[in-house]
Amino acid sequence: MAAPSLNESELHFLRALLRRKVRFMVVGLSAAALQGAPVVTQDVDLWFEDLNDPRIRQALREVGAAYVAPSILNPPLFAGGGVELFDIVLTLHGLGTFAEELSNCIEIPVGRQKLKVLGVERILASKRAANRAKDRLVIPVLEDSLSARQVAGSRDRRKSDASRVRKTTRRKSPATKPAS
Amino acid sequence: MSVNRNNVRERRAAKWAADLMESVRAVLAVRPEADPDNVRHTLILLQQPPLERLRKSLTRGRALAQRK
Repeated sequence: MAAPSLNESELHFLRALLRRKVRFMVVGLSAAALQGAPVVTQDVDLWFEDLNDPRIRQALREVGAAYVAPSILNPPLFAGGGVELFDIVLTLHGLGTFAEELSNCIEIPVGRQKLKVLGVERILASKRAANRAKDRLVIPVLEDSLSARQVAGSRDRRKSDASRVRKTTRRKSPATKPAS
Repeated sequence: MSVNRNNVRERRAAKWAADLMESVRAVLAVRPEADPDNVRHTLILLQQPPLERLRKSLTRGRALAQRK
């Protein structure tokens, strides 16, 4: 079984993909978790624009892993090198194309690179469209989490605006004093 | 000395909790049907770096899978 969190080889693999500019994004509940949703997951779902991109194989080789093509017995997999935690996503219900969804991603720093992570609104859309029992369980949690993020974000913005106004007022105040 | 340090820690904790609950109330004011626990946990997780949030999610997910 893989380690219970992103270990060094998993981070190494992500960095290897990012360094090679492979077009991919984190989706599913791991993407929601990265954005603060209180959900549990066992794997990290990666959606690649093109699974035949040779740079994916290069990144796998760099960490000592390999790609296992899909068969009747298994979905497409990454094996070896400690990257089994990553699941390959081929389609997502209720969403647009990879290129369309790229604009709905947020970026999270991993070392010097930025990891694309699908926004919670779009994860919710895919869960609603998939509508399996396990999706229905998590939808209210994602909805609550999204509201919390939005309200907290707007409160933070208001606070930082207020503090900017206070700083500006303080800076301006000597100049507004009447000359003695 | 240690009593003072404890007081400081408790005051900080109480302030943090009060700020957190104020934020929870603000969210519930906008979306009354939201579960306060989901909101509170999200707000706590938002105070941590993204990879730490993912680490917690994976740790709990794996622990649940092992219990099954």
